Amino acid sequence: MSDSVLESITHSDEPHLVQATLVSATGSTSKKVGAKMLVGASGKLLGGVTIGGCVDAQVVEAGDDLIARGGRRLLGISLDDDEAWEIGLTCGGTVEVAIERVAPSDAADPLVAAYAAVRAALDADRAAVVATPLDGARAALVLDERGDVSGSLGDPALDAAAKAMAADVLTRGSRADTVATPAGARRLFFDRFAPPTTLVIVGAGQIAMSLTAFARELDMHTIVVDGRERYATPERFPHAGAIRVGMPSEIVAGIRPAPRVAVVLVAHDYKYDVPVLRQLLRAPVGYIGLLGSKKRGAAVRQLLRDEGFSDDELARIHTPIGLEIGGKSPPEVALSILAEIVAVRSGTRA
Amino acid sequence: MTAYRAIVLEHFRRPRNRAPLPEANRSADGANPLCGDRVRIQLRVEAGTIADARFTADACALCVAAASLLTERVRGMRVADADAIDAAWMSRSLGGDPPPGRARCATLPLDTLRHALHTLEPASPS
Repeated sequence: MSDSVLESITHSDEPHLVQATLVSATGSTSKKVGAKMLVGASGKLLGGVTIGGCVDAQVVEAGDDLIARGGRRLLGISLDDDEAWEIGLTCGGTVEVAIERVAPSDAADPLVAAYAAVRAALDADRAAVVATPLDGARAALVLDERGDVSGSLGDPALDAAAKAMAADVLTRGSRADTVATPAGARRLFFDRFAPPTTLVIVGAGQIAMSLTAFARELDMHTIVVDGRERYATPERFPHAGAIRVGMPSEIVAGIRPAPRVAVVLVAHDYKYDVPVLRQLLRAPVGYIGLLGSKKRGAAVRQLLRDEGFSDDELARIHTPIGLEIGGKSPPEVALSILAEIVAVRSGTRA
Repeated sequence: MTAYRAIVLEHFRRPRNRAPLPEANRSADGANPLCGDRVRIQLRVEAGTIADARFTADACALCVAAASLLTERVRGMRVADADAIDAAWMSRSLGGDPPPGRARCATLPLDTLRHALHTLEPASPS
Protein backbone atom coordinates (compact mmCIF):
# COMPACT_ATOMS: atom_id res chain seq x y z
CA MET A 1 0.00 0.00 0.00
CA SER A 2 1.35 3.43 -0.88
CA ASP A 3 1.32 6.15 1.69
CA SER A 4 -1.09 8.45 -0.18
CA VAL A 5 -3.92 7.38 2.15
CA LEU A 6 -1.81 8.37 5.13
CA GLU A 7 -1.35 11.82 3.66
CA SER A 8 -5.04 12.19 2.81
CA ILE A 9 -6.14 11.30 6.34
CA THR A 10 -3.44 13.40 7.97
CA HIS A 11 -4.37 16.49 5.97
CA SER A 12 -8.13 16.02 6.00
CA ASP A 13 -10.22 18.73 7.63
CA GLU A 14 -13.31 16.50 7.73
CA PRO A 15 -14.55 15.76 11.28
CA HIS A 16 -15.19 12.19 10.21
CA LEU A 17 -14.48 10.16 7.13
CA VAL A 18 -14.82 6.58 6.05
CA GLN A 19 -11.87 4.46 5.12
CA ALA A 20 -12.71 1.51 2.91
CA THR A 21 -10.14 -1.24 2.49
CA LEU A 22 -10.30 -4.24 0.20
CA VAL A 23 -9.42 -7.05 2.62
CA SER A 24 -10.05 -10.12 0.51
CA ALA A 25 -10.85 -10.99 -3.06
CA THR A 26 -11.71 -14.14 -4.94
CA GLY A 27 -12.15 -14.55 -8.66
CA SER A 28 -10.54 -12.40 -11.28
CA THR A 29 -10.75 -8.91 -9.81
CA SER A 30 -7.78 -6.80 -10.77
CA LYS A 31 -7.74 -4.96 -7.47
CA LYS A 32 -5.10 -5.71 -4.94
CA VAL A 33 -5.84 -6.57 -1.34
CA GLY A 34 -5.13 -3.43 0.65
CA ALA A 35 -6.58 -1.10 -2.00
CA LYS A 36 -8.33 1.80 -0.30
CA MET A 37 -10.63 4.72 -0.73
CA LEU A 38 -11.66 7.53 1.56
CA VAL A 39 -15.14 8.98 1.60
CA GLY A 40 -16.35 12.07 3.42
CA ALA A 41 -19.86 13.24 4.20
CA SER A 42 -22.37 13.07 1.33
CA GLY A 43 -20.19 10.65 -0.59
CA LYS A 44 -17.40 13.13 -1.23
CA LEU A 45 -14.30 11.31 -2.42
CA LEU A 46 -11.17 12.32 -0.51
CA GLY A 47 -7.71 11.96 -1.96
CA GLY A 48 -6.97 10.40 -5.29
CA VAL A 49 -7.53 6.72 -4.60
CA THR A 50 -10.55 4.50 -5.17
CA ILE A 51 -11.05 0.76 -5.16
CA GLY A 52 -12.90 0.93 -8.43
CA GLY A 53 -16.04 -0.06 -10.28
CA CYS A 54 -19.14 -1.19 -8.46
CA VAL A 55 -17.25 -1.40 -5.16
CA ASP A 56 -16.90 2.38 -5.02
CA ALA A 57 -20.64 2.87 -5.41
CA GLN A 58 -21.45 0.53 -2.55
CA VAL A 59 -18.85 2.11 -0.29
CA VAL A 60 -20.27 5.55 -0.99
CA GLU A 61 -23.76 4.27 -0.30
CA ALA A 62 -22.75 2.78 3.06
CA GLY A 63 -20.53 5.73 3.92
CA ASP A 64 -23.12 8.26 5.02
CA ASP A 65 -24.70 5.86 7.47
CA LEU A 66 -21.34 4.97 8.94
CA ILE A 67 -20.33 8.60 9.28
CA ALA A 68 -23.51 9.28 11.20
CA ARG A 69 -23.39 6.23 13.47
CA GLY A 70 -19.69 5.43 13.67
CA GLY A 71 -18.08 2.02 14.04
CA ARG A 72 -17.20 -0.43 11.34
CA ARG A 73 -18.74 -2.80 8.83
CA LEU A 74 -17.55 -5.56 6.59
CA LEU A 75 -19.17 -5.43 3.17
CA GLY A 76 -19.30 -8.60 1.10
CA ILE A 77 -19.67 -7.59 -2.52
CA SER A 78 -20.32 -9.93 -5.42
CA LEU A 79 -18.76 -8.83 -8.66
CA ASP A 80 -20.97 -11.20 -10.61
CA ASP A 81 -23.62 -9.49 -12.65
CA ASP A 82 -25.99 -11.50 -14.79
CA GLU A 83 -26.14 -9.07 -17.70
CA ALA A 84 -22.45 -8.39 -17.58
CA TRP A 85 -21.76 -12.14 -17.56
CA GLU A 86 -23.75 -12.56 -20.73
CA ILE A 87 -21.65 -10.08 -22.62
CA GLY A 88 -18.43 -11.24 -20.96
CA LEU A 89 -17.56 -7.98 -19.25
CA THR A 90 -17.65 -8.82 -15.55
CA CYS A 91 -14.62 -9.42 -13.38
CA GLY A 92 -16.35 -12.22 -11.51
CA GLY A 93 -15.75 -13.23 -7.93
CA THR A 94 -16.42 -11.62 -4.59
CA VAL A 95 -14.63 -9.08 -2.51
CA GLU A 96 -14.75 -8.08 1.12
CA VAL A 97 -14.39 -4.43 1.94
CA ALA A 98 -13.86 -3.27 5.50
CA ILE A 99 -15.26 0.20 6.10
CA GLU A 100 -14.76 2.16 9.28
CA ARG A 101 -15.30 5.69 10.50
CA VAL A 102 -12.14 7.63 11.26
CA ALA A 103 -11.77 10.94 13.11
CA PRO A 104 -8.69 12.47 11.43
CA SER A 105 -8.15 15.17 14.08
CA ASP A 106 -8.44 12.75 17.01
CA ALA A 107 -4.98 11.45 17.86
CA ALA A 108 -6.62 8.74 20.00
CA ASP A 109 -8.56 7.31 17.07
CA PRO A 110 -7.02 3.82 16.66
CA LEU A 111 -6.36 4.24 12.96
CA VAL A 112 -5.03 7.79 13.28
CA ALA A 113 -2.64 6.64 16.01
CA ALA A 114 -1.64 3.63 13.92
CA TYR A 115 -0.99 5.76 10.86
CA ALA A 116 1.19 8.12 12.91
CA ALA A 117 3.34 5.11 13.83
CA VAL A 118 3.37 3.98 10.19
CA ARG A 119 4.43 7.46 9.08
CA ALA A 120 7.33 7.41 11.55
CA ALA A 121 8.42 3.99 10.26
CA LEU A 122 8.22 5.07 6.61
CA ASP A 123 10.17 8.23 7.36
CA ALA A 124 12.89 6.00 8.80
CA ASP A 125 12.78 3.85 5.62
CA ARG A 126 11.11 0.94 7.38
CA ALA A 127 8.01 -0.99 6.30
CA ALA A 128 5.19 -1.45 8.81
CA VAL A 129 2.06 -3.56 9.20
CA VAL A 130 -1.21 -2.38 10.74
CA ALA A 131 -3.34 -5.18 12.21
CA THR A 132 -7.03 -4.41 12.73
CA PRO A 133 -9.90 -6.71 13.74
CA LEU A 134 -12.58 -7.33 11.14
CA ASP A 135 -15.24 -7.58 13.82
CA GLY A 136 -15.85 -6.13 17.26
CA ALA A 137 -14.53 -2.84 18.57
CA ARG A 138 -12.13 -0.75 16.50
CA ALA A 139 -8.49 -1.21 17.44
CA ALA A 140 -5.12 -1.29 15.75
CA LEU A 141 -1.67 -2.68 16.41
CA VAL A 142 1.41 -1.65 14.42
CA LEU A 143 4.60 -3.66 13.93
CA ASP A 144 7.48 -2.20 11.95
CA GLU A 145 10.52 -3.80 10.34
CA ARG A 146 12.72 -2.98 13.32
CA GLY A 147 10.31 -4.83 15.60
CA ASP A 148 8.83 -1.71 17.19
CA VAL A 149 5.23 -2.28 18.27
CA SER A 150 2.60 0.33 19.08
CA GLY A 151 -1.12 0.18 19.81
CA SER A 152 -3.10 -2.82 20.97
CA LEU A 153 -6.00 -5.01 19.91
CA GLY A 154 -7.23 -5.04 23.50
CA ASP A 155 -6.04 -8.50 24.49
CA PRO A 156 -2.40 -9.42 25.21
CA ALA A 157 -2.82 -12.88 23.69
CA LEU A 158 -4.38 -11.41 20.55
CA ASP A 159 -1.60 -8.82 20.38
CA ALA A 160 1.04 -11.55 20.56
CA ALA A 161 -0.66 -13.65 17.86
CA ALA A 162 -1.14 -10.62 15.64
CA LYS A 163 2.47 -9.55 16.09
CA ALA A 164 3.70 -12.98 15.00
CA MET A 165 1.53 -12.94 11.89
CA ALA A 166 2.41 -9.31 11.10
CA ALA A 167 6.08 -10.28 10.91
CA ASP A 168 5.17 -12.66 8.09
CA VAL A 169 3.01 -10.05 6.38
CA LEU A 170 6.01 -7.68 6.31
CA THR A 171 7.61 -9.92 3.72
CA ARG A 172 4.56 -11.38 1.98
CA GLY A 173 2.14 -8.46 1.66
CA SER A 174 -1.29 -7.46 2.96
CA ARG A 175 -3.91 -10.11 3.74
CA ALA A 176 -6.82 -11.02 5.95
CA ASP A 177 -6.14 -13.95 8.23
CA THR A 178 -7.46 -15.72 11.28
CA VAL A 179 -5.43 -15.93 14.47
CA ALA A 180 -6.13 -18.29 17.32
CA THR A 181 -6.12 -17.12 20.93
CA PRO A 182 -7.27 -18.80 24.17
CA ALA A 183 -10.40 -16.66 23.91
CA GLY A 184 -11.18 -17.96 20.45
CA ALA A 185 -10.31 -17.31 16.83
CA ARG A 186 -10.32 -13.75 15.54
CA ARG A 187 -10.20 -12.58 11.95
CA LEU A 188 -7.82 -9.68 11.39
CA PHE A 189 -6.68 -7.63 8.46
CA PHE A 190 -2.95 -7.06 8.13
CA ASP A 191 -2.19 -3.99 6.07
CA ARG A 192 1.38 -3.60 4.88
CA PHE A 193 2.86 -0.16 4.21
CA ALA A 194 6.28 0.04 2.58
CA PRO A 195 8.57 2.94 1.76
CA PRO A 196 8.46 3.79 -1.93
CA THR A 197 10.72 2.05 -4.39
CA THR A 198 13.86 4.07 -4.89
CA LEU A 199 14.85 4.14 -8.53
CA VAL A 200 18.51 4.97 -9.04
CA ILE A 201 19.15 5.99 -12.64
CA VAL A 202 22.79 6.03 -13.74
CA GLY A 203 23.20 8.06 -16.91
CA ALA A 204 21.32 11.31 -17.39
CA GLY A 205 20.23 10.82 -20.99
CA GLN A 206 16.88 10.83 -22.70
CA ILE A 207 15.73 7.46 -21.36
CA ALA A 208 16.46 8.75 -17.87
CA MET A 209 14.29 11.81 -18.49
CA SER A 210 11.33 9.60 -19.39
CA LEU A 211 12.06 7.29 -16.45
CA THR A 212 11.79 10.13 -13.94
CA ALA A 213 8.50 11.31 -15.43
CA PHE A 214 6.88 7.86 -15.45
CA ALA A 215 8.33 6.80 -12.10
CA ARG A 216 6.66 9.73 -10.40
CA GLU A 217 3.29 8.33 -11.44
CA LEU A 218 4.31 5.03 -9.85
CA ASP A 219 5.15 6.72 -6.52
CA MET A 220 8.83 5.89 -6.96
CA HIS A 221 11.55 8.10 -5.55
CA THR A 222 14.10 8.76 -8.28
CA ILE A 223 17.78 9.59 -7.98
CA VAL A 224 19.56 10.60 -11.19
CA VAL A 225 23.31 9.96 -11.18
CA ASP A 226 25.89 11.10 -13.69
CA GLY A 227 29.45 12.33 -13.85
CA ARG A 228 28.54 15.10 -16.27
CA GLU A 229 27.17 18.29 -14.77
CA ARG A 230 25.74 19.55 -18.02
CA TYR A 231 23.54 16.47 -18.38
CA ALA A 232 22.29 16.03 -14.85
CA THR A 233 20.48 19.31 -14.36
CA PRO A 234 17.14 20.26 -12.74
CA GLU A 235 16.06 21.73 -16.08
CA ARG A 236 16.41 18.37 -17.79
CA PHE A 237 15.02 16.45 -14.82
CA PRO A 238 12.18 18.45 -13.27
CA HIS A 239 10.54 15.24 -11.97
CA ALA A 240 13.64 13.77 -10.31
CA GLY A 241 13.59 13.30 -6.57
CA ALA A 242 17.33 14.00 -6.44
CA ILE A 243 20.15 14.69 -8.86
CA ARG A 244 23.68 13.63 -7.93
CA VAL A 245 26.77 14.54 -9.93
CA GLY A 246 30.12 12.93 -9.20
CA MET A 247 31.77 9.54 -9.53
CA PRO A 248 28.74 7.33 -10.19
CA SER A 249 30.11 4.22 -8.48
CA GLU A 250 30.78 6.21 -5.31
CA ILE A 251 27.36 7.81 -5.38
CA VAL A 252 25.66 4.44 -5.81
CA ALA A 253 27.81 2.93 -3.06
CA GLY A 254 26.55 5.68 -0.76
CA ILE A 255 22.89 4.77 -1.28
CA ARG A 256 21.73 2.30 1.36
CA PRO A 257 21.06 -0.98 -0.46
CA ALA A 258 17.68 -2.57 0.16
CA PRO A 259 15.26 -4.83 -1.71
CA ARG A 260 13.16 -1.79 -2.56
CA VAL A 261 16.06 -0.10 -4.35
CA ALA A 262 16.14 -0.58 -8.13
CA VAL A 263 19.18 0.53 -10.10
CA VAL A 264 19.10 1.04 -13.84
CA LEU A 265 22.25 1.64 -15.85
CA VAL A 266 21.21 3.63 -18.89
CA ALA A 267 24.40 5.58 -19.63
CA HIS A 268 25.26 2.90 -22.21
CA ASP A 269 28.89 3.50 -21.31
CA TYR A 270 31.12 0.86 -19.74
CA LYS A 271 33.02 3.54 -17.87
CA TYR A 272 30.02 3.86 -15.56
CA ASP A 273 28.41 0.44 -16.04
CA VAL A 274 31.34 -1.66 -14.86
CA PRO A 275 32.34 0.31 -11.74
CA VAL A 276 28.70 0.68 -10.66
CA LEU A 277 28.04 -3.04 -11.18
CA ARG A 278 31.07 -3.83 -9.02
CA GLN A 279 29.29 -1.98 -6.21
CA LEU A 280 25.91 -3.58 -6.82
CA LEU A 281 26.44 -7.26 -7.51
CA ARG A 282 27.07 -8.10 -3.86
CA ALA A 283 24.57 -5.59 -2.47
CA PRO A 284 20.98 -6.55 -1.56
CA VAL A 285 19.23 -4.27 -4.04
CA GLY A 286 15.99 -5.51 -5.57
CA TYR A 287 16.72 -4.92 -9.23
CA ILE A 288 19.74 -4.26 -11.43
CA GLY A 289 19.15 -3.42 -15.09
CA LEU A 290 21.73 -2.73 -17.78
CA LEU A 291 20.92 -1.02 -21.06
CA GLY A 292 22.42 -2.69 -24.11
CA SER A 293 22.24 -5.61 -26.48
CA LYS A 294 22.70 -9.25 -25.50
CA LYS A 295 26.21 -9.06 -26.92
CA ARG A 296 27.09 -6.01 -24.89
CA GLY A 297 25.56 -7.54 -21.76
CA ALA A 298 27.62 -10.70 -22.28
CA ALA A 299 30.79 -8.64 -22.68
CA VAL A 300 30.15 -6.69 -19.49
CA ARG A 301 29.39 -9.91 -17.62
CA GLN A 302 32.62 -11.49 -18.90
CA LEU A 303 34.65 -8.50 -17.76
CA LEU A 304 33.18 -8.83 -14.29
CA ARG A 305 33.51 -12.63 -14.31
CA ASP A 306 37.24 -12.13 -14.96
CA GLU A 307 37.33 -9.98 -11.83
CA GLY A 308 35.93 -12.81 -9.73
CA PHE A 309 32.17 -12.30 -9.75
CA SER A 310 30.21 -15.55 -9.77
CA ASP A 311 27.62 -16.61 -12.33
CA ASP A 312 24.90 -16.27 -9.69
CA GLU A 313 25.96 -12.72 -9.00
CA LEU A 314 26.13 -11.89 -12.70
CA ALA A 315 22.70 -13.43 -13.28
CA ARG A 316 21.25 -10.62 -11.17
CA ILE A 317 21.82 -8.20 -14.06
CA HIS A 318 18.72 -7.78 -16.21
CA THR A 319 20.12 -7.24 -19.68
CA PRO A 320 18.85 -6.48 -22.23
CA ILE A 321 16.94 -4.29 -19.85
CA GLY A 322 13.13 -4.11 -19.75
CA LEU A 323 10.20 -6.24 -20.80
CA GLU A 324 10.00 -6.92 -24.51
CA ILE A 325 7.19 -4.63 -25.70
CA GLY A 326 8.63 -3.80 -29.10
CA GLY A 327 9.35 -0.17 -28.28
CA LYS A 328 12.39 1.69 -29.58
CA SER A 329 11.99 5.33 -28.60
CA PRO A 330 13.41 6.52 -25.26
CA PRO A 331 9.96 6.84 -23.62
CA GLU A 332 9.05 3.35 -24.84
CA VAL A 333 12.29 1.92 -23.48
CA ALA A 334 11.66 3.71 -20.18
CA LEU A 335 8.18 2.19 -20.05
CA SER A 336 9.55 -1.31 -20.63
CA ILE A 337 12.16 -0.81 -17.89
CA LEU A 338 9.58 0.30 -15.35
CA ALA A 339 7.31 -2.58 -16.37
CA GLU A 340 10.14 -5.00 -15.66
CA ILE A 341 10.87 -3.41 -12.28
CA VAL A 342 7.20 -3.70 -11.33
CA ALA A 343 7.16 -7.32 -12.55
CA VAL A 344 10.24 -8.20 -10.49
CA ARG A 345 8.89 -6.39 -7.44
CA SER A 346 5.58 -8.22 -7.66
CA GLY A 347 7.29 -11.56 -8.13
CA THR A 348 5.88 -12.28 -11.58
CA ARG A 349 9.39 -12.11 -13.04
CA ALA A 350 12.58 -13.34 -11.40
CA MET B 1 47.68 -5.73 -31.81
CA THR B 2 49.68 -2.53 -31.44
CA ALA B 3 51.79 -1.91 -28.37
CA TYR B 4 49.54 1.02 -27.49
CA ARG B 5 46.42 -1.13 -27.59
CA ALA B 6 48.04 -3.96 -25.66
CA ILE B 7 49.22 -1.64 -22.89
CA VAL B 8 45.88 0.11 -22.57
CA LEU B 9 43.98 -3.18 -22.38
CA GLU B 10 46.45 -4.69 -19.92
CA HIS B 11 46.19 -1.74 -17.53
CA PHE B 12 42.42 -1.48 -17.95
CA ARG B 13 41.85 -5.16 -17.18
CA ARG B 14 44.47 -5.34 -14.44
CA PRO B 15 44.88 -1.79 -13.17
CA ARG B 16 47.69 -1.19 -10.72
CA ASN B 17 46.94 0.74 -7.54
CA ARG B 18 43.20 1.05 -8.18
CA ALA B 19 41.90 1.37 -4.63
CA PRO B 20 41.14 4.09 -2.12
CA LEU B 21 44.09 5.21 0.01
CA PRO B 22 42.66 5.87 3.49
CA GLU B 23 45.95 7.21 4.82
CA ALA B 24 46.37 9.69 1.94
CA ASN B 25 47.49 13.20 2.81
CA ARG B 26 47.11 14.57 -0.72
CA SER B 27 44.07 14.02 -2.92
CA ALA B 28 42.45 15.52 -5.96
CA ASP B 29 39.50 14.75 -8.19
CA GLY B 30 39.53 15.28 -11.93
CA ALA B 31 36.67 15.24 -14.41
CA ASN B 32 36.18 15.57 -18.11
CA PRO B 33 32.87 17.41 -18.38
CA LEU B 34 32.35 16.35 -21.98
CA CYS B 35 32.76 12.59 -21.80
CA GLY B 36 32.12 12.17 -18.07
CA ASP B 37 35.42 10.54 -17.11
CA ARG B 38 35.99 10.87 -13.38
CA VAL B 39 39.27 10.08 -11.61
CA ARG B 40 40.64 10.58 -8.11
CA ILE B 41 44.36 10.47 -7.32
CA GLN B 42 45.37 9.95 -3.69
CA LEU B 43 48.92 10.21 -2.37
CA ARG B 44 50.76 9.57 0.82
CA VAL B 45 53.65 12.05 0.83
CA GLU B 46 56.33 11.66 3.48
CA ALA B 47 59.32 14.01 3.72
CA GLY B 48 58.90 15.20 0.14
CA THR B 49 58.65 11.68 -1.28
CA ILE B 50 55.54 9.91 -2.58
CA ALA B 51 55.34 6.87 -0.34
CA ASP B 52 52.12 5.59 -1.86
CA ALA B 53 49.89 6.50 -4.78
CA ARG B 54 46.49 5.08 -5.66
CA PHE B 55 43.56 6.00 -7.82
CA THR B 56 39.86 5.37 -8.26
CA ALA B 57 38.03 6.06 -11.49
CA ASP B 58 34.80 5.75 -13.36
CA ALA B 59 36.46 6.34 -16.68
CA CYS B 60 37.28 4.89 -20.07
CA ALA B 61 39.96 2.27 -20.63
CA LEU B 62 42.53 4.85 -21.75
CA CYS B 63 41.99 7.04 -18.70
CA VAL B 64 42.14 4.05 -16.34
CA ALA B 65 45.31 2.81 -18.03
CA ALA B 66 46.90 6.26 -17.79
CA ALA B 67 46.07 6.49 -14.09
CA SER B 68 47.43 3.00 -13.53
CA LEU B 69 50.71 3.75 -15.29
CA LEU B 70 51.04 7.09 -13.54
CA THR B 71 50.53 5.78 -10.02
CA GLU B 72 53.05 3.02 -10.71
CA ARG B 73 55.55 5.58 -11.88
CA VAL B 74 55.28 8.12 -9.07
CA ARG B 75 55.61 5.72 -6.16
CA GLY B 76 58.91 6.52 -4.49
CA MET B 77 59.46 9.70 -6.52
CA ARG B 78 60.27 13.08 -5.09
CA VAL B 79 57.29 15.44 -5.35
CA ALA B 80 59.19 17.84 -7.62
CA ASP B 81 60.10 15.03 -10.01
CA ALA B 82 56.50 13.75 -10.16
CA ASP B 83 55.34 17.28 -10.83
CA ALA B 84 57.55 17.36 -13.91
CA ILE B 85 55.95 14.33 -15.60
CA ASP B 86 54.40 15.48 -18.83
CA ALA B 87 52.16 14.30 -21.67
CA ALA B 88 55.17 13.11 -23.67
CA TRP B 89 56.04 10.67 -20.87
CA MET B 90 52.47 9.47 -20.86
CA SER B 91 52.53 8.80 -24.62
CA ARG B 92 55.79 6.89 -24.31
CA SER B 93 54.40 4.82 -21.45
CA LEU B 94 51.24 4.06 -23.38
CA GLY B 95 53.25 2.87 -26.34
CA GLY B 96 52.11 5.70 -28.58
CA ASP B 97 49.99 8.81 -28.84
CA PRO B 98 46.30 8.43 -28.06
CA PRO B 99 44.01 8.63 -31.09
CA PRO B 100 42.83 12.06 -32.24
CA GLY B 101 40.32 13.47 -29.81
CA ARG B 102 41.35 11.15 -26.97
CA ALA B 103 44.41 12.99 -25.69
CA ARG B 104 42.42 14.42 -22.80
CA CYS B 105 41.57 10.90 -21.59
CA ALA B 106 45.29 10.25 -21.06
CA THR B 107 46.15 13.62 -19.57
CA LEU B 108 43.25 13.82 -17.09
CA PRO B 109 45.09 11.62 -14.54
CA LEU B 110 48.24 13.70 -15.10
CA ASP B 111 46.44 16.97 -14.41
CA THR B 112 44.72 15.39 -11.41
CA LEU B 113 48.08 14.21 -10.06
CA ARG B 114 49.42 17.77 -10.30
CA HIS B 115 46.41 19.07 -8.41
CA ALA B 116 46.94 16.43 -5.76
CA LEU B 117 50.62 17.31 -5.44
CA HIS B 118 49.72 20.93 -4.84
CA THR B 119 46.97 20.34 -2.31
CA LEU B 120 47.89 21.43 1.16
CA GLU B 121 48.53 18.68 3.61
CA PRO B 122 45.76 18.63 6.21
CA ALA B 123 46.83 20.06 9.56
CA SER B 124 47.84 17.43 12.08
CA PRO B 125 45.42 17.02 14.94
CA SER B 126 46.69 18.90 17.99
